[in-house]
Amino acid sequence: MPVPHYRQQLLPGFRLALGCALVYLSLIVVLPLTGLAIKASQLSLAEFWQTASGERALASYRVTFGASLLAATINCFFGLIVAWILVRYSFPGKRLIDALVDLPFALPTAVAGITLATLYAENGWIGRYLEPLGLKVAFTPLGIVVALTFVSLPFVVRTLQPVLEDIEPEVEEAAASLGASRFQTFVRVLLPTILPALLTGFTLALSRSVGEYGSVIFIAGNMPLISEITPLLIISKLEQYDVVGATALATVMLAISFVLLLAVNALQWWTAHRDGRDGAGTGQP
Amino acid sequence: MSIEIRAISKRFGSFVALHDVTLDIPSGELVALLGPSGCGKTTLLRIIAGMESPDSGHILFAGEEATHVHARERKVGFVFQHYALFRHMSVFENVAFGLRVKPRKLRPAEAEIRRRVSELLKLVQLDWLAERYPSQLSGGQRQRIALARALAVEPRVLLLDEPFGALDTRVRKELRRWLRRLHDEMHISSVFVTHDQEEALEVADRVVVMNQGRVEQIGSPDDVYSHPASPFVYQFLGNVNVFHSRVHGAWADIGREQAQDLPADEATAFVRPHDIEIEHRPAPGGLAATVQQVHTVGPLVRVELAYASELIEVELTRERARSLALREGQQVWFRPRELRVFAVPQSGLEEGGSGI
Repeated sequence: MPVPHYRQQLLPGFRLALGCALVYLSLIVVLPLTGLAIKASQLSLAEFWQTASGERALASYRVTFGASLLAATINCFFGLIVAWILVRYSFPGKRLIDALVDLPFALPTAVAGITLATLYAENGWIGRYLEPLGLKVAFTPLGIVVALTFVSLPFVVRTLQPVLEDIEPEVEEAAASLGASRFQTFVRVLLPTILPALLTGFTLALSRSVGEYGSVIFIAGNMPLISEITPLLIISKLEQYDVVGATALATVMLAISFVLLLAVNALQWWTAHRDGRDGAGTGQP
Repeated sequence: MSIEIRAISKRFGSFVALHDVTLDIPSGELVALLGPSGCGKTTLLRIIAGMESPDSGHILFAGEEATHVHARERKVGFVFQHYALFRHMSVFENVAFGLRVKPRKLRPAEAEIRRRVSELLKLVQLDWLAERYPSQLSGGQRQRIALARALAVEPRVLLLDEPFGALDTRVRKELRRWLRRLHDEMHISSVFVTHDQEEALEVADRVVVMNQGRVEQIGSPDDVYSHPASPFVYQFLGNVNVFHSRVHGAWADIGREQAQDLPADEATAFVRPHDIEIEHRPAPGGLAATVQQVHTVGPLVRVELAYASELIEVELTRERARSLALREGQQVWFRPRELRVFAVPQSGLEEGGSGI
């Protein structure tokens, strides 16, 4: 990408600002990750492969990424509804709901995990009604999805809110006066406008879920091959002083996350640019 | 298609937006709803469009009941003040939108859509912008695209909500002439909302002056300007001098035939600044005053006279001002050529205000 020409800016100098940004990112992000890669490289390729593609490891990737994708997808749907309600309607208790959305940010994840596990256990407030239906949530992969949905909800809502506020109600009225049904208005007018922001929210929720540890271990049951997440597997390797094995798993996780994020970002870039916009006002990260 | 508005009322909470409004919009006319902000003109337009529902009253389209018909079934073209274009769609797709969302059976073929859209873009003289996006257009271009989009579905009525309100003066003038021409070509009943009296008087066949949720006067532009039905209309359409008593020295003579039956202290006299004559010598019916200020504003010379405790605004042509050679502090005599006396001391507007 060519360096864009820049007008008189508030921050001193493009070079200085860029330098600061790069140094900061190096210290905070790149350095620890490089350390991880170096540590992992102590393994021979065969050893690495053996650790990283063990039966337990493969199962844990499936659980971690599967549950995270599912949770992020669920949140895209319900997060959109929550954000829509908060932006478009005024009702008593709106501020309370607005504040509730942030709660998963503030609550210690372990507390969230224990609370959810208690609620969804066989004799819990919610679990006791699901039990007769044959639905087991606590101590199953489903429990992991519930926990991840809980912790990642704010990301979708908070990314969508400003973009929804930006859409003038007139645009919907214009669509209606041109004969579009509500469904057509949503699919043809609203969705394309909020899609980039929705993807950003999805990405953030996904990232958060993949890295989540605290809340999951309390509700997951942590049965190897069934409901064991990769972060837990890493911790258990560390507890057995298998530092190198832990870094190998971490590296794989990092690689998968990176590829996923890159893919979503590419998709997002495409949605923002397929129609010639400069991505203006679409809430890109 | 004609629109009949029958006794429409609408409240928002305790605010009365429309109070028992009855109005006929004959087929093919270009009608302006004119009034200050908050007078209910936009609410009325939105009720005609079906975007708002009235608390009571009826709307009839071509004699048919349409009060509860949904906006998308009314076949009404609506143009918004801030364009409301779909910003993720090209100009072409914006205009094509109304055709593309038609039910499958009624939807024209792709080639037909292309033909219709390019025809409309030619009509608004922007066919060369078809592939651009709304963010790449100027305000005037956006509004013309919004108009083309509204016309694409062949509406029975065209409704425009302050269509030129967000544009600068020069573009606004150009666009309103263009709208007039377009209307003359298409003969579609159109209603537009404006707070700009000049715009209403210049463009419309018929002007509806509204105030505080009521219709004050309906008439041709010349009619409402020359024969205002109420003090509000008088004040809203152009500058005016207001005298809060019928008896203003010799002025009482002039107003007498209109205000005979009224108690002297409850009448208000209105005189337009350009209907006042200034003389150097006392004349019959003239009142003595002192020149306060003389400004030249474009083609006019605006003179402020101090008369008793009131300030009187007079507009003279440049030639007249030159021959008078007025100086500040000078004693002169003024005399209204034309004035109007209304019974009740009115109204919400400030004295001599331009009404905008």
